[in-house]
Amino acid sequence: MSHSTEAAPSPAFLAEETRRYHHFITLALWLAVVTGAEIVLIFLPVPMPVVLTVLSLMSAGKFFAVILWFMHLIYDKRLLFWIFVGALMLAFATFTGLLALLSPDRIDPKWFS
Amino acid sequence: MSENAAAHDAPTSTGIDHKKLIMWLFLASDCMFFGTLISTHLLYRKLYPAGFTDAEGHQRFIQNLFNIELTSFSTFILLMSSFLMALAVSAMHKGQIKSFRRNVLGVIFFGLIFLGCQVFEFTHFYHQGLTIQNSVLGSTFYVLTGTHGTHVAIGVLWLILMYFYSFTGKLGGHVGALDVEVAGLYWHFVDIVWIIIFTAVYLVEYLGPNGFWGTGLPAVTK
Repeated sequence: MSHSTEAAPSPAFLAEETRRYHHFITLALWLAVVTGAEIVLIFLPVPMPVVLTVLSLMSAGKFFAVILWFMHLIYDKRLLFWIFVGALMLAFATFTGLLALLSPDRIDPKWFS
Repeated sequence: MSENAAAHDAPTSTGIDHKKLIMWLFLASDCMFFGTLISTHLLYRKLYPAGFTDAEGHQRFIQNLFNIELTSFSTFILLMSSFLMALAVSAMHKGQIKSFRRNVLGVIFFGLIFLGCQVFEFTHFYHQGLTIQNSVLGSTFYVLTGTHGTHVAIGVLWLILMYFYSFTGKLGGHVGALDVEVAGLYWHFVDIVWIIIFTAVYLVEYLGPNGFWGTGLPAVTK
């Protein structure tokens, strides 16, 4: 952290920040609406696979909306995007691998008791 | 992704400020860390759908413990704190220190509410018989949500320090805005992790009459 001795932001920069500000407000409203919809969805008499798919899509939508806009990935360098997406893919591969390898029909749960 | 970013390139080989790059690398590693914790919880939920046995020897189901209203409230609070953090970063980019302080105070307040909800939830679960030691479910649940809560607590502490630091007059200009942006990245990450936890750990327990994982029993006994 340092002392501020820099010039004031340019009008173009301020205009861009103001545009982003409006994006943030719109996004916050959408996030609140989607979260509300998720809670309603789990109590609806809809088949479980459908609910699970829609919930997953809604969560993924919220997840990527926050990283793209609130975390500025949509405005920043692409390298940052790929660093994060790379880690995300590794995490998802770990998740898929664990669930595939350690399913109840392939192991004896007594091993863990 | 905008190539307008080139207009604000940092004087580094990547064109990205080192602090920001390091934070993204840290978040990438933390992403894998939480990915493993969430995977572990889901895996053991699949292996042990029966829940846990309380101190009196009664079989209990996690679905009956969860309070979806409380968790939804804390989720909403965390999402709105992320919104305020985005506004705080925007204010710092525009050099509006007072607006930054207002928004950061809001983030801190919301973060403390979230932590309060989590402490309440843990206490309630503990009194209902779910401990970190008495079941695999308890172990994975407390480790996962507790690790996330620790991240929130660190974020709150970081923002409190930044709030007071702003009164010294040293938090300003491009470097100050970058410091706030890096803190903001951490806070938003905590938010996105909760987005996944909320769905994968809490909401799925409400699917169907006995939750997505079932009870592990031949008949519905809820």
